[in-house]
Amino acid sequence: MNELTIAMPKGRIFDEAYQMLLEAGFNLPEEVEMSRKLMLEIPEEKIRFILAKPMDVPVYVEHGVADIGIAGKDVLLEQQREVHELLDLKISTCYIASAGLPNTTMNEIAPRIATKYPNIAMKYYKGIGEQVEIIELNGSIELAPMIDLADRIVDIVSTGRTLKENGLVEYEFITDVSSRLIANPVSYRMKSDRIIDLVKRLKRCVK
Amino acid sequence: MSSIKMFEKPLGMRDTFPQIFEKVEAVRNTGRDFLCRRGYEFIKTPAVEYFDTVGKASAIANAHLFKLVDGQGNTLVLRPDMTTPIARVATSKLLKEMIPIRLAYFASVFRAQEAEGGRPAEFDQMGIELIGDNSVFADAEVIVTAMELLKQFGVEQFKVTIGHAGILHCILQDYTESVEQQNILRALLVQRNYVGFEEAVASFDLPKTKSDALLQFIEEAMNVKEIQDIEKYVRKNDALEYMQQLAKLLETANLADYVAFDFTLSSHMSYYTGMLFEVFATGSGFPLGNGGRYDGLLEVFGSEVGATGFSIRVDRLLETLDGLSDERQEATVVLFEEEQFEAALAKVQKLRATGKQVTLQLKSSLVDEATFLAHFTEVVVVGQEDVDGE
Repeated sequence: MNELTIAMPKGRIFDEAYQMLLEAGFNLPEEVEMSRKLMLEIPEEKIRFILAKPMDVPVYVEHGVADIGIAGKDVLLEQQREVHELLDLKISTCYIASAGLPNTTMNEIAPRIATKYPNIAMKYYKGIGEQVEIIELNGSIELAPMIDLADRIVDIVSTGRTLKENGLVEYEFITDVSSRLIANPVSYRMKSDRIIDLVKRLKRCVK
Repeated sequence: MSSIKMFEKPLGMRDTFPQIFEKVEAVRNTGRDFLCRRGYEFIKTPAVEYFDTVGKASAIANAHLFKLVDGQGNTLVLRPDMTTPIARVATSKLLKEMIPIRLAYFASVFRAQEAEGGRPAEFDQMGIELIGDNSVFADAEVIVTAMELLKQFGVEQFKVTIGHAGILHCILQDYTESVEQQNILRALLVQRNYVGFEEAVASFDLPKTKSDALLQFIEEAMNVKEIQDIEKYVRKNDALEYMQQLAKLLETANLADYVAFDFTLSSHMSYYTGMLFEVFATGSGFPLGNGGRYDGLLEVFGSEVGATGFSIRVDRLLETLDGLSDERQEATVVLFEEEQFEAALAKVQKLRATGKQVTLQLKSSLVDEATFLAHFTEVVVVGQEDVDGE
């Protein structure tokens, strides 16, 4: 049996995905202390976890240093990497939407859009024929409309609480997001038995 | 934009240092010898072609083409692949002399990169084109040649996945209700987005029998061991019979173990009307190569004789080979003083006659002797070897 390397995003998604693997019958320790570790070996199952920033999971998988990985659809849409998207785990579900201050219209010449997802935002506004200027930010996106940096933001919304707390309202729904199981194209072929088995077992646990 | 530094190269361009050069050369020699023995003749085409001919006909997306303008105002491209120029030269000239014709190449191709800066924009490809034979035997020959070429390089852990555009087309046609739906599904398969495929099927509101069949197909068709497993989805057609025959031929060639069938395999190019395949090997995270039948491309150049072929990326092959062998080459250096030049010449001649690789170097020109000598496995100092009683 080949060793299987799985790239996992740190944080909440890790816990949910790990729980799914347990449910799928993988022989993993019930509790793992993941605070500072970057790698976790499970010799019983010949599995190795690499812990990465969510944005980096598709990078590891595309380059084949991880055979499979768990990545948010937002990251996949933004980066457009050469990976196989095998299964929707339906965990960490949320959506991408545009938001802004209430009762505002967008600047008519070139509205400015602040976002962590420049490619998704560009593609969306291109698709509806709107010329915009994209401003890429790395965090605290909600700040942008309040300080008049941007007319709209494009960001992830899960409960809508963050928007509300910052006095923003949602304008347009862009796309649904959830965590996906992705695979490297070469690993998918060279370790097909293991990966297909894993997909089948996980599929039964998707709620 | 910061200014360009003197040592910089254009984005994605790489220098090939001596060590790598030797490895590439070894691959070229092995490959050339192997392909020549199978009756493939090597060919070279210009690095620059017209955008309106090769550029437009090529399978490589417009955004990845390097474009230039010539003195007459024509748009030119750096060749983005070798298949298109070979289709051009074969249809205009070579096919008049011989049909079918077997051609091979080892050449660099150019593809502009937008993503991460360091990805190669120029890389070597080795491949073959078998033009003018429409039979399944020609396709089998191409696949067998690709596999045996890998074996020739000592690659043992590899897989070839084979699909057929006709079978996929048949299934998409039978289980959807419009051409748009087919196109949406095909585009998702090109991206390998199986989740998106399932979502799209659900959103089409198809009769349950159809959507169930599609979902079941997608689950099974990605990894088919036996062609029979797929028969239940497809009404009897030529493509299916073709694949059954191909599978038999590969079995006869004793290569069935390396083969998997994937009927979701799809290309964004409409030229690939028939069989298509991808080559994977342990050691590189990216596919090693791909191939298939591209009768449609020949039609663009006005010929209907049909063609099939494959190409392998040399840089990825080297990655795969990296673990296999890494022996240091024997190298001798002969050091001499100014007045010993004649003796030194005689010495290197004698050593070279034995087949050794010998460098001749004036000792007083060396700035850092130790660093220089570290590159050699043997050091001979003229005048000293005789003292040692050689």
